[in-house]
Amino acid sequence: MIRLIASLFLRAVVVLSGAALATFALLWHAPGDPALAIALARYDAMVTAEVVDQVRAQSGLDAGFWPAFQDWIMPLLVGDFGQSSVTGRAVWPELVTAISYTMPLALTGLLIGILISVPLAVVATQRPGGWLDRCAVALASIGAAIPAYWLGLLLILLFAVQLGWLPAMGARSPAHVVLPALTLGLGVAASFTRILRSGILEARGQPFLPAFRRRGVAGRDIERDHVAPHAAIPVVTVFGLELAFLLEGAVMVEVIFARPGLGSFLVNAIEARDFPKVQAVVILAAVLFVTVNLLIDLIYRALDPRIGERDA
Amino acid sequence: MRSVGVLVTLFMVLALFGPLLAPYEPTQINIPNRLSPPNAEWLLGTDALGRDILSRLLHGARWSLGLAFLVSVIGLCIGTFMGLIAALGGKLADWIVMRTTDTFLAFPDLVAAVVIAGVLGAGTGSLIFALTVTGWMRYARVSRGIGLSLQTRGYIVQARLAGLSPFAIARWHYLPSLLPSLIVVWTGMFARAILGISALGFLGFGVQPPIPEWGTMLLDARIHMRSTPLQMIWPGFAVVICVLAINLTGDALRDAVVEQEHKD
Amino acid sequence: MLSVDQVFVRRGAALTLQDVSLSLAPNRTLAVVGESGAGKSTLISAVLGLVPCTSGQITWANAPVRSCRRALVLQEPRSAFNPRLSLRRSVMEPVVAQGKAADPARLDTLCRGLEIPPDLLERSPMQVSVGQAQRVGILRALIAAPPFVLFDEPLSALDAVTQKHTARLIAELQREEGFAALIVTHDLGYAAAFSDDIAVLRDGRIEELNASQAFVEAPQTVYGRTLRDAAFALGALERVA
Repeated sequence: MIRLIASLFLRAVVVLSGAALATFALLWHAPGDPALAIALARYDAMVTAEVVDQVRAQSGLDAGFWPAFQDWIMPLLVGDFGQSSVTGRAVWPELVTAISYTMPLALTGLLIGILISVPLAVVATQRPGGWLDRCAVALASIGAAIPAYWLGLLLILLFAVQLGWLPAMGARSPAHVVLPALTLGLGVAASFTRILRSGILEARGQPFLPAFRRRGVAGRDIERDHVAPHAAIPVVTVFGLELAFLLEGAVMVEVIFARPGLGSFLVNAIEARDFPKVQAVVILAAVLFVTVNLLIDLIYRALDPRIGERDA
Repeated sequence: MRSVGVLVTLFMVLALFGPLLAPYEPTQINIPNRLSPPNAEWLLGTDALGRDILSRLLHGARWSLGLAFLVSVIGLCIGTFMGLIAALGGKLADWIVMRTTDTFLAFPDLVAAVVIAGVLGAGTGSLIFALTVTGWMRYARVSRGIGLSLQTRGYIVQARLAGLSPFAIARWHYLPSLLPSLIVVWTGMFARAILGISALGFLGFGVQPPIPEWGTMLLDARIHMRSTPLQMIWPGFAVVICVLAINLTGDALRDAVVEQEHKD
Repeated sequence: MLSVDQVFVRRGAALTLQDVSLSLAPNRTLAVVGESGAGKSTLISAVLGLVPCTSGQITWANAPVRSCRRALVLQEPRSAFNPRLSLRRSVMEPVVAQGKAADPARLDTLCRGLEIPPDLLERSPMQVSVGQAQRVGILRALIAAPPFVLFDEPLSALDAVTQKHTARLIAELQREEGFAALIVTHDLGYAAAFSDDIAVLRDGRIEELNASQAFVEAPQTVYGRTLRDAAFALGALERVA
């Protein structure tokens, strides 16, 4: 068991190294002269060739790929995310602020999603193929096809513009989180309902269950001991996917609702060509993603002992 | 498989011939009649520059659907190739390909696409690159998985023994068995590409105006949300319909493929 | 001449084959008998050159076995063919892979020798009986005229009548084509009746190697005797009066 954890951990390290390299390489090859962009952002009209060269030397952009990569990755390993190339201020504090806006949004969205999907899936699977079940599947399918940004706009249109019940832009009050979280939550609910529903149905269909029932094991015990753990497997796997969805959704939703947060942080950084910030967000997302998937992998194997080394 | 063919043909027809059905030129500016609601002349109304929305939608299909098709097919080719190398190339090749796949999978794909398209500069080229680079991995995993499971089949052993080249073995003995599952994955990726293209368009990182891509149309419509809210409905609706159709077909296909595999 | 010379093969942590030596001349048949787990599959993979030897070598005419044409007849006839291709296509594969043109006369001769009706080859593997599929498998093995052919439990999937028939066909073809045959089987009766020599494989080692008749009359090891007596008891082998 220790060996397994160690090898998965090692694999995660390899993957993250590759991810860091890829991130840096992408930004290194971005078109345009980054020194020029930085100089323009900092000094505006007073940019001359000498100023640009100065900026280049200062930022270490003239050193070549590997030294520059090391300059970035070494501080990163101890938690130093560098400075914004535009403002010169440290990236990490602003990143933390951004995260502190996104977290409540993402968690609320996730909560809404779970609160909708779990009861729906459980009730719908009581009568598979019945009216509610088919409705649930239809709604979930439609929900999966709706882009988050469109849903957000529609919700703004309905609740903010037409009905005036809820605020649309900004993040000034708790009420401001409702519509964005609802947008995310409905998306989560759509995919979660489907996975949960098929997980429950599949778990119920396990071949040994009728034998238990015949021997008189109570339905509730069967649900608890055999259906739930088995259904938990795809659900746990899906958590990893939902995380990706939430991150992506956060980008869209924060832009639409003009909320500060990781999403707007990223989009603004890209538009300002502030690469240290972009790198920071990307590598942070990657670390989060890889870690969560690692945990899910371990939980997955703990839940289903049949799963051996499927993946080299 | 047939329904996928029908669906894809329908979409391609729409993408190719839709513009012919369009009553107006998508870039035809008509300021006096801007922002008019749906009426007899302009079935879905006009946008901020007086352009007919219906025509723009129909022309936009070429971009939102056609580009998505292109992107997903390129991803299919790359991913299948990588997966087969992993399955057939020996342990080292397998390890390299799998770690590469994992590395690319370390990023949530839309975030990565936004970053790539944004950083490389807005435009169709970066869009295609961004979505392809973030979209080949599932194919690789699937083709590797199936490829590995086929390794021990009798006819594969016979082909190797007969001295058939690895390419010929892949072409005749692996690909036919991979194709059903790959097409199922492809339908999901096609839908994802449609969503991706319009999402990037909405953020301004994708296809650039005046091209009537559905996402950029939504971006335009958003500005006038209070005066002409209806304008926001149409492009999003188009995306939803297409994605829904593809997802439903994909589901039906997946069920059919699973049945087939049970028989095998 | 096939020469297996002090071969050791490691699979994973274990040594599946230990100090295995055999030889096989053209037009001769060697049967390798053993129980499941004895190492028969590894031996097949090694002799075909599909698996590297940890030590020792396997050669044909003093060249590494991978460089010569060799063929395999599998136990499960239908899985030996790609279900999506016609039998003809699969049969011609060894010839096509060599870049040679198909020789219709040879195909015809072999088909007649194996009692395969001409139109059978147009079918797919699922559309023929197991017995027919096995004969087509033998056809494919022989189409490129390999100097040695390996048979992996060639009769196990067939019913008793078809077994005898197919065994006889193989023997006849060997007389005509002159290939060396290595038959891996658990059926001592088949081994005794159709092979010149018998090797007994046990836990990766050759326990005994002798001419068939000699082995059946007087096995030289305890294990060999156990195998032979069991075959007698099952009626698979007839006692020589």
